[in-house]
Amino acid sequence: MTQSPTDSGYDKGPDPQVSQEALDIEELRRLIAGPERIQIRQLRERLENPELRIKDISQILAEAIVHRTSQDEKIAKALAPTVEKAIESSIKRNRKVLVDALFPVMGPAIRKAVASALHGMIESFDKTIEYGLSPKGLKWRFEAFRTKKPFGEIVLLHTLLFQVEQIFLIHRKSSLVIQHVMSKDAKIQDPDLVAGMLSAIRDFVHDSFKLKKEESLDMLRMGADRTIWIEQGSLAVLAAVIRGTPPSELRLALRETLDTIHLEHGEALEAFDGDPALLESARPDLENCLQARTKPKPKKAFPLFWILFGVGIAVLGILIFFSIQGHRRSMRYLERLKAEPGIQVTSAEKRSGLYRIYGFRDPLAADPVELLTKEKLKSGGFAFNFESYTSAHPQLVLKRIVQKLKPPETAHLDFRDDVLSISGSASHLWISKTREAVQAIPGILKCDDSHLADLDVIEFEDLKKAVENRFFLFEFRSAEMIPGQEPELQAFIKELKRFLNLAEGLEKYVRIEIVGHADSNGSEWANLILSQERADHFLSLLVKEGLDPKSFQASGRGSRELYREEKTDRDRELNRRVTIHMIG
Amino acid sequence: MLKKKICMLGMYSVGKTSLVRRFVHSLYEDRYLSTVGVKIDKKLVEIDGQPMEFLLWDIAGEDDHFSVPSSYLRGTSGCLLVIDGTRKATFDAALDLWQRTEEAIGSVPFVAVLNKVDLTDQWDISPKDLEDRDRLNWTFVKTSAKWGIGVEEAFATLGQKILHP
Repeated sequence: MTQSPTDSGYDKGPDPQVSQEALDIEELRRLIAGPERIQIRQLRERLENPELRIKDISQILAEAIVHRTSQDEKIAKALAPTVEKAIESSIKRNRKVLVDALFPVMGPAIRKAVASALHGMIESFDKTIEYGLSPKGLKWRFEAFRTKKPFGEIVLLHTLLFQVEQIFLIHRKSSLVIQHVMSKDAKIQDPDLVAGMLSAIRDFVHDSFKLKKEESLDMLRMGADRTIWIEQGSLAVLAAVIRGTPPSELRLALRETLDTIHLEHGEALEAFDGDPALLESARPDLENCLQARTKPKPKKAFPLFWILFGVGIAVLGILIFFSIQGHRRSMRYLERLKAEPGIQVTSAEKRSGLYRIYGFRDPLAADPVELLTKEKLKSGGFAFNFESYTSAHPQLVLKRIVQKLKPPETAHLDFRDDVLSISGSASHLWISKTREAVQAIPGILKCDDSHLADLDVIEFEDLKKAVENRFFLFEFRSAEMIPGQEPELQAFIKELKRFLNLAEGLEKYVRIEIVGHADSNGSEWANLILSQERADHFLSLLVKEGLDPKSFQASGRGSRELYREEKTDRDRELNRRVTIHMIG
Repeated sequence: MLKKKICMLGMYSVGKTSLVRRFVHSLYEDRYLSTVGVKIDKKLVEIDGQPMEFLLWDIAGEDDHFSVPSSYLRGTSGCLLVIDGTRKATFDAALDLWQRTEEAIGSVPFVAVLNKVDLTDQWDISPKDLEDRDRLNWTFVKTSAKWGIGVEEAFATLGQKILHP
């Protein structure tokens, strides 16, 4: 609002002179204070116009509050009741606005509080099991010392093992699946149906137990190791299907993910009409929730330890192997000893690593020490205490017979059913002695030597044939032998001597006829005489060599028994001979 | 793909489960099994060339001891209000059920299904009854879950209403 100078109170009435003066003064005032008056008018306008005042204050209000807040707390105190009333009024009017506004802020705040509580719980847990001295507890305690982590945290780490198999982001209002992610090896049902039923169950629980609005079903357990964790947001619900025992941090992670999705996709969630494509961009956040934690693999032991361990095992194995093998050999040896003819084991025991064997042994039975070497056993491990006895075992009886008869190698003895069978061949003398000796050996009922050949008889027969096949040639019309037959003669004499010896041994009476022959030259008479002379001469040669003339007789046959028809001189030469014949 | 939650509403033994079974699995069973709580099924449909996935919430039928919890209705895109044509009481109860549904979740598309048309000799609903409801602008589809009559049509009609409200 403006006022003209005439309205200012200076003008008192119509006075021309005064008026002129006033006009002059006014002119003077205008000239002197004109600019200031304009400024004063402008200031009055600003003070009196509320719109301009609002503009002015708005330009300095923020700075003024900051300035004053830095000086004291009066502004905060002054505003507090108003802000409180404003919030109260807002909640009364529409709770949802403030809930939606605070939701992203409250989440982290609650998480912080939960994390703090969890830390306290870990410390408390640490104290609880502080005095637990199980081997595992001690091992974990050492690990806590080594890694400088709280003991309780190590315990939790070892006991937790889990995998998030599926994550459902469910529209809270319609129960439709907004997004669904799953781990590679998860086996799933239709996510829409699962999500629907999950919502129905949650609603059922909520309605049935008349839960408060902020309360809800936040976990389902299926079997021993599978759970569904449910986090509820204002617009969407996050459900995680988890195998194993998840850590509490996972719930914080789920909560954080749900908060992030609300924050980043709030409008899309609000407008969700059943088309999941609009919230495809939320998948990476959900996939981050597909966490898995497995028990760490035990660290590999230092190789040297395994080498030494392996060597130790190998040595132990070898020792056990040899011990078992030694024991088996000893047992086998003992069995063999028991089965051995002429050995009776009455007892065997092992004391201080030494086998002591007691019993009876025939002196002719096998030597127990020699049997040890056959079983590759050392004699040092055994001590024998055998009493001597005579075994009736056929093998031992036979041994005794052999020991007594001393049979030649060519003879084979067998003793079975009290009958001694002798086969092969033996000298006439041994056979004769054996026949006498057998009768004196106890246990032999009969001796069968029908298959035993008499070597002397065989030789006797062989020599007989050899001797009879001999002949010697003589000079023409002479009783002298043709020279050069000396070796044959010596051989014949040797055979003859042996033959006569054998005949004596065999108690056979033998007489040998030396028969002289002549060729057909000359008269019969003369040839008879000549042939007699040849026989006599030959006999004299034998006698000269030490042969007994009693065993011989010499006779001449002239040319009556020609060896060959005389066609040539050689035929005649062959007919001038002496031959040998056995008599009787 | 667009997903829509559909609720099957109606008194006990009107044939809600049979309709879902016929619609989803093309099967029918004479044996009556009471639904406990809710059973959810899924069916892919095409409305005006637009593929849609119906999540069918087959909610236990109402009786003296059970009324449909409003939490089950939350977020539904449409309802089939199932009536047993041989029981007039289910026709009357449908109106009450519908009013309560509107109170709980507001107005949503719905189709009133007159089921069991195969039992013509036992039919208990007169044309006059239907005229009364026409005044309320109800859409009726006659069905027989047993014979497979009208089932597809009922769901297709609901789909149209959802797509073009």
